[in-house]
Amino acid sequence: MHIPDGFLDVKTAVATGALALAGLGVALRQVGRSLPRARMPLLGLSAAFVFAAQMLNFPVAGGTSGHLIGGLLTAALLGPSAAVIVVSSVLFVQCFLFADGGITTLGANIFNMALIGGVGGWVIYRLFSRMCAGLTGKLIGAALAAWTSTVVASIVCAGELAASHTITWRLVFPAMAGVHALIGVGEAIITVLVLSAIAKTRPELLESSSSSTPDFGQERIGPLIAFGLLISLGLALFVAPFASPLPDGLDKTARALGFGSKAAETPALPAPIVDYKMPGISSEAIATAIAGVAGTVVVFGLAWMLAGSIARRPKALPANDP
Amino acid sequence: MQADYLDRYSRLDSPLHRQPAGGKVMVAMAVVVIAVTLPRAHAIWLAPLATLLIVLALVSQVPLRYLGQRMLLLEPLVVGVAVLSLLQSGGWQVFVLLISRTSICLLAMLLLANTTPFSDLLRVLRRAHLPGLIITTLMLMYRYLFVLVDESIRMKRARAARTFAHKRLPLWRNTATIIGQLFIRASERGERIFAAMCARGWQ
Amino acid sequence: MTPALDVRDLHYRYPDGTEALGGISFSLAEGECVGLIGPNGAGKSTLLLHLNGLLPERPAGSACVHVGDRPVAPEHFPEIRRRVGLLFQDANDQLFCPTVFEDVAFGPQQLGLSAAETGQRVREALAKVGLAGFEQRPPHHLSAGEKRRVCLAGVLACQPSILALDEPTSSLDPRGRRELKQLLGEIPLTKLIATHDLELVVERCPRVIVMAHGRIVADGPTQQLLADEALMLKYDLERPHILQHRHPH
Repeated sequence: MHIPDGFLDVKTAVATGALALAGLGVALRQVGRSLPRARMPLLGLSAAFVFAAQMLNFPVAGGTSGHLIGGLLTAALLGPSAAVIVVSSVLFVQCFLFADGGITTLGANIFNMALIGGVGGWVIYRLFSRMCAGLTGKLIGAALAAWTSTVVASIVCAGELAASHTITWRLVFPAMAGVHALIGVGEAIITVLVLSAIAKTRPELLESSSSSTPDFGQERIGPLIAFGLLISLGLALFVAPFASPLPDGLDKTARALGFGSKAAETPALPAPIVDYKMPGISSEAIATAIAGVAGTVVVFGLAWMLAGSIARRPKALPANDP
Repeated sequence: MQADYLDRYSRLDSPLHRQPAGGKVMVAMAVVVIAVTLPRAHAIWLAPLATLLIVLALVSQVPLRYLGQRMLLLEPLVVGVAVLSLLQSGGWQVFVLLISRTSICLLAMLLLANTTPFSDLLRVLRRAHLPGLIITTLMLMYRYLFVLVDESIRMKRARAARTFAHKRLPLWRNTATIIGQLFIRASERGERIFAAMCARGWQ
Repeated sequence: MTPALDVRDLHYRYPDGTEALGGISFSLAEGECVGLIGPNGAGKSTLLLHLNGLLPERPAGSACVHVGDRPVAPEHFPEIRRRVGLLFQDANDQLFCPTVFEDVAFGPQQLGLSAAETGQRVREALAKVGLAGFEQRPPHHLSAGEKRRVCLAGVLACQPSILALDEPTSSLDPRGRRELKQLLGEIPLTKLIATHDLELVVERCPRVIVMAHGRIVADGPTQQLLADEALMLKYDLERPHILQHRHPH
């Protein structure tokens, strides 16, 4: 999802750059305050880890293979603020050493992958691991968070491309969201497998309230609110303008029910809300909604089963595992 | 060193390599900004920009084949997204413009990366007053990514020597276990690095 | 005459409670080179980490370790860490900067030296270890032996009074080992070398301390102790080849 130079126009690049800078500022303040000095090298090492992990292949079918993206994984292991710094560092090195992701689009890439992918995903992860206790809760949360944050990040990316008038929304949105709905499944599975592997040998690394990671898991509410604002701003700028059917629907409902000054197109009886004046966007919206719900249910189910089977494995491991 | 391909040409000795890092960064960014902001009407100016880059590439003595390979690695993504623009009205003009702009920017950044050692780049960032925590993180990331990539290669090899089936889930589980191990080792190494820093007086 | 290093009744338990060091006492005189040998898990590395205050995690009570005239206590850490040059087992852990120059300069910079002095110290240290001209090399372009020597240079640049080395010749090829052994012979500082390399001990250390299970079980002249086959076998060591072939002619 690394956007190359030339795909975003100046206003989008500047806007996303500002959001990314603000996010980094919040993350730096939080990490600077709460990171124990002995943990300071862990940021750089984690960035190297993400980079190295992304190079390992997961064969899918035929000759294709996928790989870990790692935003949610990093946040689950280090907390949201540290994850923002780590993911941003990875993106920076990828941009400057490999031209993977442009320099003018670095802000957008950081916003999409560190803020939405990392922080946004972490919130979902935390919510779920609070709801269902134990490792199972964490794994389910991780799977859902990984898929959702991947898809939402891709939608925001689509919004940025559309806002730059590079590609119209109706083309880029289904392409990005569709592809990343699939990629998200892989990301969810890999993230769950990695977290459960770590839980097997060093479970305290996943525990946010143990003495070994006292400051990574206990995120203060201030930074979270700041992150939330930035993410909402990004969504408002780049997704909301295109996800317009709802306002249309509301508008039509209002008119159908007699509100509004314009002459009602329909009689006094309330007309059905859905009046397809713009078939393209409306059908996409429904299709997306269905895909979203279905995807969520599918991933939830998969995650539940996977988490159940992994968490219930006996202590004695089969011969071919470490 | 297995992972050497990441850094192979940044320390050659050519007229371009010898330029100060700060200057090269500014020139690269200027090229990118120009290529990105050039209005459609003046798109013809992309051609001399591209020529300039190709000349610089030749001067740099970085093998053109290597640069070409790196560009080809990135192009599929560019082309993939750009292809969508073909489906729009006036599509093919947008498509060509998009590809040209992006390719020029790619080449500029690749040239920068391959003529400037990363440590020099870090020095430029330090002078630009980037926060110390980010600089240290980037420094340690660069230093240890070769170590971790090597470790992951060794672990994969050791794992492959014990793998007899090639079914997908066990394979995925194996690779995920390696990634998990990689994080644990990175975490432990981080603690030892901190100890080494303290041992030499870090405050 | 103050010993260069004085350790008196040092105890240490790991965080999980297992005893790592059970009453270690010994001294090093100025300029002495002492080998520290023993099976894995004897506590050699743990002991070395106590010499500059990296352990214990929470210093309590009076200091058991004295470096020259200073006790190893938090208020003296900066000076102690300058005086004790600790070489870690894994050179990759200690070589954390992107170029050789920056890494060797790290110590002098932390000491607050000016850029000119730092540059001077770096050049001298690199020359001493035979790596002059390596300033701009990145660590991942170095061999294991070169990395070891850069770490040694980084430590020497702080002008220490004691060198504490943890397995300096491990994972080196024969040439690397030879070069390092020669280098150690050329450095006149007080040295404590924890190692499995018994040939190194025989060649460079007139005195040897044998550790096992967190305690010192023998402390005496190298030739005498290492030739004692019963002692060696008792602590899972071997009589080194050098001492095994004694030809009268």
